[in-house]
Amino acid sequence: MIKHFAIVAALTLCANSAYAQIAGLDAPAKQAYVVYAAEPQVVPAGKPGTLELHFRVVQGFHVNSHTPKSELLIPTTLTLQPAGGVKAGALQFPAGKPYSFSYDPSEKLDVYAGDFTVKLPVVAAAGEHALDASLRYQACDNAACYPPRNLPVKVLFTAK
Amino acid sequence: MRKVFLLLAMAAGIALVAWSGWQNWHQSRRAAQAQQAKRVDLIPDASSSATDPSEAESPLRGKPAPAFTLIDLSGKKVSLSDFKGHPLVLNFWGTYCAPCKLEMPWLEEFSKKYASTGLEVVGVTYDSEVGAKTITQNTEKLGVTYPILLSDPTIEKAYLSDSEVLPMSFYVDKAGTVIEVTAGLGAKDELEARVKEAIAAGDQ
Repeated sequence: MIKHFAIVAALTLCANSAYAQIAGLDAPAKQAYVVYAAEPQVVPAGKPGTLELHFRVVQGFHVNSHTPKSELLIPTTLTLQPAGGVKAGALQFPAGKPYSFSYDPSEKLDVYAGDFTVKLPVVAAAGEHALDASLRYQACDNAACYPPRNLPVKVLFTAK
Repeated sequence: MRKVFLLLAMAAGIALVAWSGWQNWHQSRRAAQAQQAKRVDLIPDASSSATDPSEAESPLRGKPAPAFTLIDLSGKKVSLSDFKGHPLVLNFWGTYCAPCKLEMPWLEEFSKKYASTGLEVVGVTYDSEVGAKTITQNTEKLGVTYPILLSDPTIEKAYLSDSEVLPMSFYVDKAGTVIEVTAGLGAKDELEARVKEAIAAGDQ
């Protein structure tokens, strides 16, 4: 698991620096605050199964959970592209953890920090599948916030 | 005998090279450590408690504040020149930014407390694409009455130079010079100290 994240993080860094070189100084690479660990998964063919999408918030940051306590905050969401042979159920997001800024301990936010897993129930026809998805999140550290980002995700799995 | 002398000389030479190499490494390490100590982390570590806002590295510090013309929530044009001769706090914030919303009521308080000095506080909404209605919902909830402007790429390029950190504040004195730039939320009394500096500066 850790290895997966390390690979993803290394690839992200490489991609970022390659992007920075191409784009030059005008468009510095956008830092990613969440990484996705792609792990090949297996579900039973033609029967209900559950895919687990493992994410990690980069250390030192947090993102709003799927259900932040204020309607004015941007929740973490996942949009899924339809794919042939796969019937996707409702996404299941984990509960967030309380977080407050030290300058105002009274206001509690609901956030993900460290690892979090989104579950996706599926019924898939036998064979290899690839689902395209996008995780939208908005990150902060303990003093500042960063604009919302979209993280492209490819979920690879086999139904057999 | 000569051989022994030669060997000794060689050993001494090697020792000298090794020693100077070590000295060099030691010195550069010390320099790196000193550099490290001076470094201000914009992104504090999760385990540390909240730090004071970094005095952000900004090419604008000590320079005249770049001119801008933006629209406010009612669609009226507002320019930097409208605040000529006034100390000004230009605060970039976003509706998604919780720490911004912690300091905005403080800015509101100081805008009233120091109104007699001519202090002006202006908020610039970074995520202006959410629309005036959502922005007003936020500012009303926060009790903010100072002018709120909608950001555009021109002011972002001039002031933020591609940084996306919020909140970000620019303290401008009466003479129109940027005297301080901060990124991130800090303590309320430190914010007030910077406001006072902006009021006191640029008198001559």
